[in-house]
Amino acid sequence: MSETRFKTLRDVPLQEYLAPGNPLCAGCGATPVLRMFLKALEGRAVFVNAAGCFTLLHVYPYTPFKSSWMYTAFASAPAGAQGIRDALDILIEKGKIPPEEDIKVVCFTGDGAAYDIGLQSSSGAIERGLDFYYLVYDNEAYSNTGFQKSGATPYAASTATTMPTKLQKEGHAGSKKDLFEIWRSHKPPYVATIAPSHIVDMLRKIERASRYRGPKLFISFTPCPTGWYHDTSESIRISKLAVECGVWPLKEAIYGEVRHTYAPRALKPVEEYLKTQGRYKHLFHPERQEHVIKAIQENVSQYWRRVAKTEKLDITIPSP
Amino acid sequence: MLKIRFHGRGGQGVKTSSRILGRAAFLDGFIAQDSPIYGAERRGAPVVSFTRISSTPITERGFIFDPDIVIVMDETLLNDWLARPLEGIKKGGAVFVNALSEFPPPEGHDDKLFITYDLTGRALEILGKPIISSPAAAAAAKITGLITKSSILEATAEELAELDLKDELVEKNIQLAAEVYDAISTPVINTQESGSITSEVSPLDYEPVSYEEVIHLDIVNLGNSALRRTGNWRIFKPIVDPQKCTGCLVCVVYCPDSCITLDENNKAVIDYDNCKGCMICLRECPLRAIYSVREVRVYA
Repeated sequence: MSETRFKTLRDVPLQEYLAPGNPLCAGCGATPVLRMFLKALEGRAVFVNAAGCFTLLHVYPYTPFKSSWMYTAFASAPAGAQGIRDALDILIEKGKIPPEEDIKVVCFTGDGAAYDIGLQSSSGAIERGLDFYYLVYDNEAYSNTGFQKSGATPYAASTATTMPTKLQKEGHAGSKKDLFEIWRSHKPPYVATIAPSHIVDMLRKIERASRYRGPKLFISFTPCPTGWYHDTSESIRISKLAVECGVWPLKEAIYGEVRHTYAPRALKPVEEYLKTQGRYKHLFHPERQEHVIKAIQENVSQYWRRVAKTEKLDITIPSP
Repeated sequence: MLKIRFHGRGGQGVKTSSRILGRAAFLDGFIAQDSPIYGAERRGAPVVSFTRISSTPITERGFIFDPDIVIVMDETLLNDWLARPLEGIKKGGAVFVNALSEFPPPEGHDDKLFITYDLTGRALEILGKPIISSPAAAAAAKITGLITKSSILEATAEELAELDLKDELVEKNIQLAAEVYDAISTPVINTQESGSITSEVSPLDYEPVSYEEVIHLDIVNLGNSALRRTGNWRIFKPIVDPQKCTGCLVCVVYCPDSCITLDENNKAVIDYDNCKGCMICLRECPLRAIYSVREVRVYA
């Protein structure tokens, strides 16, 4: 791989671009990712925020940011980003902003905006080749409004709208959309998945993406203590487990070519991950729903068997 | 009509508390009404809910601006200019504060009765969690002097069962509610019934503002969110043991709220004004150099 300035945690820049005191939940899994994003971009960015948990970052008259922020409706963050990019380009051309200031445009949205409500506007922005970053904090439901199911909700998760019932014992019957693949099919210069527990991997990806002009898209795993029912201190632990169990693969695609940036030597059984969260409690209590746990494991194992084959990786995969 | 206002922080069980109280009043034959309100904020942020209890039909709706009883489920809210829990309380009314120890009434509130009890401490001991919906409801019930013990316990069991709590946890909540109900004595509340709010709407004096002035009301103080002081959200406080800390940066990197930095000796320092007490630092520290203690504060 090419040179990187991020090799260990010691290389994380200490300069802080996100002030403390934001009103997001204690133990939020999204804010560590946001902090790292700002560090990697050295704060030189204009942010475009669709409706979601991050709306609350900026409750008048307080702001944790030291740079500009624009708030858009649910569906239109990438459209807002286009407007800001165009305006910046015009100002640079008129000589009103020196080009070396190198201001980037960054969208933040939750999974509701990215997977469902704003999918068409991000598709349009990628198709137009808009030069922007897009960070999705994927907590797998509409967490800001009370944890209703979204297109990112995984199979068997309990949410406010997919509670386990007598007829539907496993909770959510559908499965999570594969946004990585949806975006990858547009062949953008850069798409990656990241996780708040794997900071060095994340910083390297942001660094790598910065070499490309055009859409640079990131989907971040985001533990949500409020909606997933786990202790606030567990957020990073759960993120680590999601990667080690293979539930959240860390990968990137450059112009559509996929590569896994981290593959566990031996995948842990998904049960370890499921047991950490209240939203999967019904799979274990009052009685164990063996077939559901097996189905989740089989889904993960199948994915990794395919990856091991195509990328020639040596991974021990649990068979259900 | 008796009006009770609950002030707490998201996650403490403020809404459930007012519901339990409302249900208990209903079980005792009263007419009851309860409703919560929360702004666009999260766990830890101030939350308010209301219960009205009456022997005649309740026609009043909405917020309670003139409560007879105020239940403050987190003492740090007394200092919060956004929550203002003591605002509008009637003369001679009662204020219950969940606090570790008693304290004199704050300035300008000598005419109210202050009652304190360490609900969070007892909840941590009995339930293992700082959730105080049932004991706060029990405290409110006892202070009203209208609600019987059996009704508050029955209401607790019914409301918590609706939330799908395990039987064992419901039992513990009932135990805690009973303890608080017995421990608190009913004060003599002798508030003046204001009937309806009669204060007139008074227009604000203002100079006509020009369009240019309005559009210049921008936020220029960037990064000012530290002024919010989210440190009040905390129930446990992480403390770094400088003997063990090697400055490895793990806590600095994972802190969701940018609250940890390294000092000149390369030791982690926590910004207690803003730390929300999520304890990710404690969980992730590879050297176990961070420990936690119950946050102890007395409102002064």
